[in-house]
Amino acid sequence: MRYEWKKIFERRLNVAAMLLGYLLIGICVYNYITQESCYDAATDSYIEGVAAYRMQEELAQSQTDVITEAYVTDLIRDIQSRGIDLESDDAYTEIIRPLGDMFYFVSKNYTDMRSKNTDMDALDKVDVSEGAHFYEHRMEKITDYLNMDFSYGNYTEAEKAYWIAKAGRTNVPLRWGSKRVMNQVGELLFAGFYLWFVVVICVSSVFSSEYESGAAYLLLTTKYGKDRLVRSKIGVAALFTVGYLTGGALLAVVPVALLLGLPGADLPIQLWNPVIPYNMTIGQTCLGMFGLLLLIGSAIALALMCCSAGLRSSLATLVIGVAFIIAPAFIPMSKKSGLWNHINYLFPVRAFNLEDVMGAYVSYAAGNVVISYTAMVVIVYAAVSAVALLLIRRMFVKVR
Amino acid sequence: MELILDRVTKQYKNKIVVDRLNVVLKEGVYGLLGANGAGKTTLMRMICGIAKISSGEIRLDSEEIGDMGSRYRDLLGYLPQDFGYYPNFSAMEFMLYIASLKGLNRSYARKQSKILLEKVGLEAEMRHKIKTFSGGMRQRLGIAQALLNDPKILILDEPTAGLDPKERVRFRNMIAELGRDRIVILSTHIVSDVEEIADWIFLMKQGQFIAQGTLEDLKEHYLEVAGTEEPEKFNLEKLYLFYFSE
Repeated sequence: MRYEWKKIFERRLNVAAMLLGYLLIGICVYNYITQESCYDAATDSYIEGVAAYRMQEELAQSQTDVITEAYVTDLIRDIQSRGIDLESDDAYTEIIRPLGDMFYFVSKNYTDMRSKNTDMDALDKVDVSEGAHFYEHRMEKITDYLNMDFSYGNYTEAEKAYWIAKAGRTNVPLRWGSKRVMNQVGELLFAGFYLWFVVVICVSSVFSSEYESGAAYLLLTTKYGKDRLVRSKIGVAALFTVGYLTGGALLAVVPVALLLGLPGADLPIQLWNPVIPYNMTIGQTCLGMFGLLLLIGSAIALALMCCSAGLRSSLATLVIGVAFIIAPAFIPMSKKSGLWNHINYLFPVRAFNLEDVMGAYVSYAAGNVVISYTAMVVIVYAAVSAVALLLIRRMFVKVR
Repeated sequence: MELILDRVTKQYKNKIVVDRLNVVLKEGVYGLLGANGAGKTTLMRMICGIAKISSGEIRLDSEEIGDMGSRYRDLLGYLPQDFGYYPNFSAMEFMLYIASLKGLNRSYARKQSKILLEKVGLEAEMRHKIKTFSGGMRQRLGIAQALLNDPKILILDEPTAGLDPKERVRFRNMIAELGRDRIVILSTHIVSDVEEIADWIFLMKQGQFIAQGTLEDLKEHYLEVAGTEEPEKFNLEKLYLFYFSE
């Protein structure tokens, strides 16, 4: 195995790509920490960086510990009593900025589920004469959404029941706190998909370079050239993928944790979007993202090794790898084909964007069996890895 | 030990590259002479198990080599054409890498690598990276790696390419010695190499053996086909040119 490591690390392109990948993560970390800003009413100015995170935490703590019906009702009543158009500049300085994330969180719950952006004047339209019915509205909104007619196909009864039950199991009332630091952790982990490109670069030549240099003709005549060699190559590439991606994730998270701690890791994921049906904390979701980073990265690496062994061309493998990661991100969702949308959701970058996809109610149904999106991602990429593992050796040793 | 080629054929689409070859090889040095494109490399790759045989079979004693798998490869030493990979490996690292793939234990591999590198005159360069080697040095390294597992079947594709005259003499002596207790098949288009060391010579053209035998057999063959009566003027080159100068 040590010779296979040597082959990876002695290729200049690989080393340059590895360093560049980590440099990019480093730049993201620096930017995310330094560019965070928060309005300080005492000095009527914006503060930035670590202090901004601290101030966000203090603000959240001063608001409430738990999002109770009473708290939301009072909040909306207070906003409505001011009689300010919530889409105006005045509303921003007098209501939205002082409330910070709380305003967006509560408004999001009253925003149409099909809308990507938060409806800024949603709170003006809420009837609070008998209370805000915050959690009731959440469930109604989810139910209404599941019963809508979609041009690309509707939810089956089994799916509706599945999602309503899942959303209903959310622990309410939700706990409140500042999610800012964990938001950045989530975004930094998401930036980890850049590292997949590095994996693609380093792995694309693992088998094909042996054919390109002519060495394969020698290696395949050796006693262990058709089994142990293949196993070593797969083992090294898999370890490299997991190691490099883990290194990237640590590079992203450790500086944040050292500077800011990880406050908000235990807060419910619904603070990202109230309709998210999964009963998880933000910390658990970030761990899930890390798991997906490794799982999808490993599946890409193994599938590419299969291409590398079969195509016997590093360049062709590289192009396929890069295209597989980046191209689907530019393919829009279909307005007619639900099947296509379900496939589209499974491509790497989309599959990895948990913040977007966890509240999208994507499920895969066959009769009464419903598989949630996250479970499907795990199944698909585990299957891709398994199939690739079975095929790599066959492709490499195939005599022509 | 007998290596048997039984109606061995290789066909790429409509082109027959190796055409129904039948031969039984025992211990000794076999020289394969032919112009470029005659099918020498394809034949050697089929014997090594890295090119698929379109029809026919190759057997070692009574067993088909494909069925023998790693047992067959364990007996094999192969120097491919255009040898020269892993530019960032040192000669010793490369030898140890190949030794590990041949299943040699580490201490034996190190000892054997040293002996072989000395044998091919690379003892002073064993720590140098392959990218600093000349073509001849790479070729010598290639020969050394082929001998690592003390192979019973040694297949050398253009082994003398890039060697200077002195190295070529050393190589010929080495091969002659090796051929005493193993099957050595070498392909070349340098007639004098084969003439000096091969016990049996095959002249290959368009995938077929157009002539074969000992040097003495080929001499008689030449006199017959060329219609000359001056045996003292025969050399293998004349026969080669007779067939390949067209």
